[in-house]
Amino acid sequence: MKRLMFVLTIIVVFTLALSACATATEAPAATEAPAATEAPVATEAPAASGEAAAEVVAGDTVLPREETLYFNGQQWSAVVCWNPYSSNCNNAMAIAQQDNARTIMFETPYMYNMMDGKVYPLLADGPYAWDEGMTKITFKLNAAAKWSDGSAVTADDVAYTWASHVKYNTGTGAANILYVADIVAVDPQTVEVQAVLGDDGKSINPLLVQAYLSSNYVMQKAWTEALEARAAGDAAAFMADVAEDVVYSGPYGKFFSDDTKVVYIRNDAYWGQDASMWGKLPAPKYLAHIIYKDNAAGTTALAAGEVDVSQQFNSNVQDLWLEQGLPISTYLPEAPYGIGASLPTAFFNTASLGLDNVAVRKAIAMAVDYDTIIANAMTNQSATFTQVPRSLMNPTPGEQAAYDKAAVADLQWAGNDIDGAIALLDEAGVVDTDGDGFRDIDGKKLSYVATCPNGWSDWQAAIEVVAAAGAKIGIEITTQYPEWGVYQTVVTNSPLPAEGYDIFMMWSDGAGPTQPWGRIRKLLSGEFAGTTNNWNGNWSGFDNADANALIDAIPTMTDAAEIKAAYTELVKIYLTEVPSFTLMYRPQAFHTVNESVWTNFPHEGDGTDPAVPPLNLTDGYSVAGLYNLTLVK
Amino acid sequence: MKHTLQQVFRSSKFVTGFCIFAAILMVVIFYPLFVPNPPLEIIAQGSFFPPGTYVSTYDTVFSSKAYTLNLTDAATKRIAAKLGDQERNDIKEYLMLVGVPEDQIDSTNTILLLDLWEKNYDPTKKISGMIFSKVRYFERLNKSLDGLLSEEGLILASPNIDTGTLEQVGIINLSDYVNIKEVASVRTLPLGTDNFGRDVLTQLVKATSVSLMIGLIAGLIATFIGLVLGLLSGYVGGMLDDIIMFITNLFTVIPSFVLLILISYSVGQEHRGAVMVAAVIGFTSWVWTTRAVRSQVISLRNRDHVNLSKLSGHSIGYIITHDILPYIASYVVMALILQISSAILAEASLSILGLGPKTSEVPTLGLMMNWAMIYQAQILGKWWAYFPVLLVIAMITFSMNLMNTGLDQVFNPALRD
Repeated sequence: MKRLMFVLTIIVVFTLALSACATATEAPAATEAPAATEAPVATEAPAASGEAAAEVVAGDTVLPREETLYFNGQQWSAVVCWNPYSSNCNNAMAIAQQDNARTIMFETPYMYNMMDGKVYPLLADGPYAWDEGMTKITFKLNAAAKWSDGSAVTADDVAYTWASHVKYNTGTGAANILYVADIVAVDPQTVEVQAVLGDDGKSINPLLVQAYLSSNYVMQKAWTEALEARAAGDAAAFMADVAEDVVYSGPYGKFFSDDTKVVYIRNDAYWGQDASMWGKLPAPKYLAHIIYKDNAAGTTALAAGEVDVSQQFNSNVQDLWLEQGLPISTYLPEAPYGIGASLPTAFFNTASLGLDNVAVRKAIAMAVDYDTIIANAMTNQSATFTQVPRSLMNPTPGEQAAYDKAAVADLQWAGNDIDGAIALLDEAGVVDTDGDGFRDIDGKKLSYVATCPNGWSDWQAAIEVVAAAGAKIGIEITTQYPEWGVYQTVVTNSPLPAEGYDIFMMWSDGAGPTQPWGRIRKLLSGEFAGTTNNWNGNWSGFDNADANALIDAIPTMTDAAEIKAAYTELVKIYLTEVPSFTLMYRPQAFHTVNESVWTNFPHEGDGTDPAVPPLNLTDGYSVAGLYNLTLVK
Repeated sequence: MKHTLQQVFRSSKFVTGFCIFAAILMVVIFYPLFVPNPPLEIIAQGSFFPPGTYVSTYDTVFSSKAYTLNLTDAATKRIAAKLGDQERNDIKEYLMLVGVPEDQIDSTNTILLLDLWEKNYDPTKKISGMIFSKVRYFERLNKSLDGLLSEEGLILASPNIDTGTLEQVGIINLSDYVNIKEVASVRTLPLGTDNFGRDVLTQLVKATSVSLMIGLIAGLIATFIGLVLGLLSGYVGGMLDDIIMFITNLFTVIPSFVLLILISYSVGQEHRGAVMVAAVIGFTSWVWTTRAVRSQVISLRNRDHVNLSKLSGHSIGYIITHDILPYIASYVVMALILQISSAILAEASLSILGLGPKTSEVPTLGLMMNWAMIYQAQILGKWWAYFPVLLVIAMITFSMNLMNTGLDQVFNPALRD
């Protein structure tokens, strides 16, 4: 029996081996195919490699590689709607009404450029102007501006868009109603934005009124009316409409979308080719975004030349060109590779034992090794605090000039200052009284939990470094990573729980037309202290009368010196009171490009004037980059 | 007992598996005695430093003894490190693009090539058709060639505290050498560092011991539950058997890994320590042991010696422990070994899904893989961050399965030669 089995086994193995050989020799084509997909590495043959690498089919159409610009890192699941009145369309490429509004499909009157802090006309014609008494803004619309159905964009459209936001209490309406009184059409080309006025008869917040113009889309009145008819006056139905028939003014419209990709096609009748605007059409015929499972899948596609513009955190991005020799680059040649715009920040729960003591807060902040956070968690994709000393400003030159550095220089700690932190604690009388190695207050050990959402890898790595600092100064800090669903509910609702959220990470505003004021307001303003459903900021619940007064006053200040003095004072308060502390600088958007197919992407010193910001050719003024792209020869 | 052990150790499979496992165990026990560094200490500023010996540059400069070695190939090596065939071809390509005739370029003659490069390279010049990443490549190349042919040494200077001016404190000649043994600070990182900047080897050893502990706890829990339920169900029979088998069948049809994921998720990361994860794994993987033990007990229950014991008036507990357990002991040991190895795999799978023990307290093999993946080690070719971990997992499970097969050969009459 055993022998029979043995013989049988031999026969089976032999047959298997033979059949394996047969397939191998039969399928030379199959083994060559992967070689073809590897070809994007070779810069000499980008055209051929591009086509071989990604033959993406959208519906019945094979997208020609040389007419398609591929993105990653923006769209993470299927697009569900095309309605800019909705706040949850999950249509990342087309709809993002924010400081740097995304304008490939819908357009704003002005585009914000984070490189110079100015706004440039898009649907508008020329700059906007405040009246003498600071009560209203007037601007003209570009006479060439047309909707995708061929009709003209008029002041009525702008006014009706605002009226609809208010009528249906959309997110945009709710956020601006306290500052914008009304938007009216003076004539078909002229729009008047009336501000809500304060006791002095002037706009209570001119910064937010003018920011409206570069942050919010103009929608067609006729289409909005059609939508209203469909919704029959129901606000929920109005905002939940899928809006497949939406009329838009931007250069791209919907081409295809399913749960694997979303593709936008150029409107060849786009009004922007008029000499008064861009003077030509954007270079790519299609903008496509494959929906990748995670960052790793996105990076693989980028390295393979299947993605041209990458808006995601590619760790150790420099390895892609230094070690793998790929035609990939970032905005800056060296670390930090991009331009830092926002300040991911650790907030304190001041209700926790000891964290109401400024010495303890400051000691922890001083002891943290920020260089390690930046080198390890951010893989150097952030400026260091030696390069850009801590304040409330982001690293852009405009904001750095907004405060007096010399006046606060002795307050700006660089981190990893263990001796300084220990001295500070000793001086404040926070010492180890029971000899267990940890400092005590009222006989209780100082023990904290540092936390951030689970899976947010760079934040988690940063929180680990914060925890490591605690041990060095006699404060126990452990880490914990709840799921985002739990985390967000907890930190946005005051009061914070007694346990588990002593030191927690959240974000700050990036670059925008109201900055740095908007960011400072959200980090320090008492108006957010103790509130629930707080998505603005100041999660520590900091409430300081001096800071509040300055934050209220800055938007109406006009004297540059006065504004600078106010910002300097705010930085001073921030660095003295330490309600929270910034852990790193983070770019507004990650912007890594692969030049296998397209070239002439924005980069430092690219000669564009005004400089095109590295925001993926989709946000704010960076759409200008779409018109500069050329194919690799 | 002695005889059984002799038999077991005569099985070559068991001995091979045992040796591998013992070797892993030895390393886990003795490595921390020689390298007492804390396994989770962040030592590197930067992620994924490659394996190798790291020598303090500062200490090298100020090493007490400087040696002069006149090595003929030193210059060649120095040049080759910066200027390989690829770079030479790239330089040639650039020179041709800016209009240098091909016959004037000899890419093998370093001096002439660098001379031509210096004369013709202009970073501000726009070359039509050259993509920007290539422009940056040439900028980097140009920078790396700086001083490549220098015959002079480097001057060391430090700022004068009073005046702030730089003052020369030393000079490094091209023929200066240090003996690595005399450099004060040297650290060998045989497996480099991970994304957090931690020493991978030290962490791996600690992770192996934690994973083994997780495996052991989970294996013991699963085997204990399986054994108790199997013995009761098989020996007592009747209603109890029906109930136990009902529960067991219920658990059999639910895929245990899905159950594992659901429980781990609902426990929440704040409570997921290594022991908790081990317990969760143990409580979800006892099903097959129960079924197997039960069927073995059923076949034993009607043997003569059991009936004899019953007639002698022994209690159920006595019969189970004295008359049944010894007969299935070998099977239970084999089941335990398999449970341990599958628990280690389960921990690794859970951690890769982000449902493993919480980070930062102790490393485990699964967590190391998870972080290597999050920081894209596999895409960036940082093999040292994940491959050794894979290898350890494979070696542990391989050795245990080998031991199991060896035991099977000894104890299973059907397999005996």
